[in-house]
Amino acid sequence: MDNVIEIRGLSKSYGKARGVIDVNLSVKEGDIFGFLGPNGAGKSTTIRSILGFLKKDAGEIRVFGLDNVKDREKILADVGYMPSEAWFYDTMKVSDVIKYAADIRGGDYSEEAAKICERLKVNTDKRIKELSLGNRKKVSIVCAMQHKPKLFIFDEPTSGLDPLIQKHFFDLINEYVNAGATCLLSTHVLSEVNRYCRHAAIMREGRLTMLDTVDIDEDRFLKFYEEEEEM
Amino acid sequence: MKHVFLRELKLNLKQILIWSLTVGILGFVSILLYSSMQGDMKSMADMFSSMGAFSDAFGMSTLSIATIEGYFATEIGVIHGLGSAMFAAITAIVILSKEEERHTGEFLLSLPLSRSRVLFAKGLCVFVGLVLFTIICGLLYVAAFAGLGEGLTASELMKFLLLEFLMNVEVASVCFLVSAVSTRIKMGLGLGLALIFYVYDLMGRVVPDLKDYLFIGPFSYANASEILSGKESEPAAFLIAAAVILVSAAAAVFVYNKRDLVS
Repeated sequence: MDNVIEIRGLSKSYGKARGVIDVNLSVKEGDIFGFLGPNGAGKSTTIRSILGFLKKDAGEIRVFGLDNVKDREKILADVGYMPSEAWFYDTMKVSDVIKYAADIRGGDYSEEAAKICERLKVNTDKRIKELSLGNRKKVSIVCAMQHKPKLFIFDEPTSGLDPLIQKHFFDLINEYVNAGATCLLSTHVLSEVNRYCRHAAIMREGRLTMLDTVDIDEDRFLKFYEEEEEM
Repeated sequence: MKHVFLRELKLNLKQILIWSLTVGILGFVSILLYSSMQGDMKSMADMFSSMGAFSDAFGMSTLSIATIEGYFATEIGVIHGLGSAMFAAITAIVILSKEEERHTGEFLLSLPLSRSRVLFAKGLCVFVGLVLFTIICGLLYVAAFAGLGEGLTASELMKFLLLEFLMNVEVASVCFLVSAVSTRIKMGLGLGLALIFYVYDLMGRVVPDLKDYLFIGPFSYANASEILSGKESEPAAFLIAAAVILVSAAAAVFVYNKRDLVS
């Protein structure tokens, strides 16, 4: 299987503040890859570097075999991204936001969007400013999934979602991955990694360590966080 | 890119209408008041034209305030010049940085769009906003001239509006660059820049030592009294305007493409 994401020697700092240091990561096609780590460890920096939001200091990032800077537009056409904080334009209606994302992608995904909205119980008539964080996240999921991308990147997707919607969300991911997609999932929730991920890595102090198994017990998991606090 | 432009224009339409109607209606009412003030103006014209540097600053030494051209230059010229510059500044200074301040940048830039395309769509929206502002104000001035029964010639009004528009584009380009650099909305800075450009021009016309450097500012070629008295602006003023617009646009593209996007 080919690597959908390939990161070699990624380093990024914010002035004197540490971002990530010499990160190497490969995510294979068809994988659901769990990305664990305490707050501030560098998970979002890695994700935001992949998407080209941040300019890396060193290293190389390839997505679908393409350079993430030179071929950014081509890559993003096949990526569905959900940020940890789902923000949209306050005055727009949910249906307009979903259509706006589809229009920019240059396609009519109304059928798929309607299917996802129904499963996640998204009220498309409301304005964004009327929505709670959980409901904004559901809109974000629709925008990330409606075009059936080859790669999903989710940054802490389930915070703010109720348990039933969380289940529907992972059911959808499994369906898309079974149909050939790949998923990179950043999370703090150990059970999500145990239950849904096939491979996982943990970030601590800006450095990434691959885990040999996703079956991590809670004691070992919490130890990662304790070590981070001690550092 | 078309969708970003159209959405942005739709979002800005209310602001464009509020500003253009406010400035346009102020100009409209001021023009209509000319006939009722005409008698008083005649007696005041001589006094206003002999106030030395202040007469120069407000253009009352080149045109008589008792004529429609002089009245338009001293009243509507100031309202339109300052109002349009403030509108240009706040529209341009908000347009890019609002995406980061309101945390919508990640949504927009996770779509298959290059930063340059986003920049171009938003820059075009500012430009179209300024065109609409100029047209709306121009139509209101024409309507007021029709109501008054006298007014500027079509070529005088066109020249005035085009030069004001060029000044607006220059002010907007500087503020657009600030917006590309900044991750926070700097509306106060935008208004401040517009006022600084205006005061620089005013001071340049009052302080003799500054007169030689007047052409640097965007208001130098947009002075209504000079436009309506047929005085040609210095070619250097237009060269500087073109340079400021091009350098600001190029720098905005360069900086916006190179910097980190704040979440």
